[in-house]
Amino acid sequence: MTNNSKTPRYSALTLLRARFARNSLWQPLWGRAALQPQYDVVIVGAGGHGLATAFHLARDHHVGRIAVLEKDLVGYGNVGRNTTVVRSNYLLPENHYFYEDSLRRWETLSTDLNFNVMYSPRGVVDLALSDDDMTRLARRGNAMRLAGIDAELLTATELRRFCPELAPQNPRRFPIVGALLQRRGGTARHDAVAWGYARAAAAHGVDIIEHCEVTGLDVAAGRAVGVHTTAGYVKAERIVFATAGHTARVGTMLGIPLPIETHLLQAMVSEPVKPLLNTVVVFIFPGHGETYITQSDRGGLLMGGHLDGFPSYTREGCWERMEDVVAGALDLLPQIGSLRILRQWAGTNDMTMDGSPILDRLGYDNVFLNAGWCYGGFKAIPASGAAFARFVATGSAPELIQPFKLSRFDSGHLLDESGAGPFPVRQ
Amino acid sequence: MSHLHCPFCGERELREFEFRKTLPGTSASPVARVYLRQEEQDISIEHWQHLEGCRGWLRVVRNPFTGRILQTTLLPEPAP
Repeated sequence: MTNNSKTPRYSALTLLRARFARNSLWQPLWGRAALQPQYDVVIVGAGGHGLATAFHLARDHHVGRIAVLEKDLVGYGNVGRNTTVVRSNYLLPENHYFYEDSLRRWETLSTDLNFNVMYSPRGVVDLALSDDDMTRLARRGNAMRLAGIDAELLTATELRRFCPELAPQNPRRFPIVGALLQRRGGTARHDAVAWGYARAAAAHGVDIIEHCEVTGLDVAAGRAVGVHTTAGYVKAERIVFATAGHTARVGTMLGIPLPIETHLLQAMVSEPVKPLLNTVVVFIFPGHGETYITQSDRGGLLMGGHLDGFPSYTREGCWERMEDVVAGALDLLPQIGSLRILRQWAGTNDMTMDGSPILDRLGYDNVFLNAGWCYGGFKAIPASGAAFARFVATGSAPELIQPFKLSRFDSGHLLDESGAGPFPVRQ
Repeated sequence: MSHLHCPFCGERELREFEFRKTLPGTSASPVARVYLRQEEQDISIEHWQHLEGCRGWLRVVRNPFTGRILQTTLLPEPAP
């Protein structure tokens, strides 16, 4: 992947050599670049999507001067705050083709980036708690299979064989009657994804500038010509905003109201234990809430649930939701009752009005917006980076991301995956 | 933000309340009223319901950056 001799290629041989060189071979993953006065493409936000777009622009489209500007640190935002689940089990064709493209890229991402992102296809299990749930999951599974995506509908007995710890045969308030399984779904290490993309992008000559906040857009003759930043003014041919969680600020900056509300989504992790749960379990209990749970490679049980339920930027997370998530986890796995919660955190989610992302131009011909990922941002990174880079480089959106136009709200072509209506909090 | 003050019931835990919607702008376009939100701002005007209490609809003025509640009033009519 490298065309820059300064970035060493990781391999078993490098590891061996580093061992005998007393580890002096290890260098910082990417160099600290100085901000130049002019770039071909300026990307705002060094999260997963910004870095992946920069990487593909440099590698696949040979764009010369690219800068990624970040107001905090690489991976400080949602790419380092999510629950690391990757899957493509969506109902709507527009969504499942896109996320399937992403899942295929996850399978080879470690090789593509020459960086181990620890993609672990341990399966994603959606539990059914009623016959209606089974019908709903069967419909979703059938839609996926028609698109060539793997999906299996499991009975309670088959689920028990696949994940014995769940013990679906045990009596519960909401008995588990079956599940939808996607075996190729699973997890990946989120920090490694940010670092891997940053390292690969920098190796292709991308400047990654941390602690550089964009404060305004400079416009002349109906085109954007540059951005004002806390580190000075930068001229740019094309500008990409990939500022998950802060897209409303981009709207404010450009004076364009967006179909986005910012909500908090929290997650928490228990103290580490020996291997217990061999898959990702999604448990939605009727009318109340949701718990999804997975065991990290370190051994902690990583749990998340529904949104906090009201717009917020505080990154704190409310106690009520934490209680709901833990209650759901205990209902599912009573054996974890004596574990303690080690950490809890929250991220700001850009929730769109239909629960699907926005990948489009914004206001000007040379300003691009990559936003509104709701819960789906992490798993979408590889596909979004590749497709969006092509969009920015060629000026025309690839077929894969055409449904995610901003104008769909005007024309009524919504991608309402959950059928919840124009309420971001219910997506 | 852990409690909300219901003008009828007093100070109650947040879990008794349900956020309903952010009040849209006064735009003439129906698409804008349904789908578009005001840009990022310090003051958010919202409708909440005291679902597990008096079931009254509330108008809550809140700062989404700090979580501070600035004003809570009972809505005179049930919101549509």
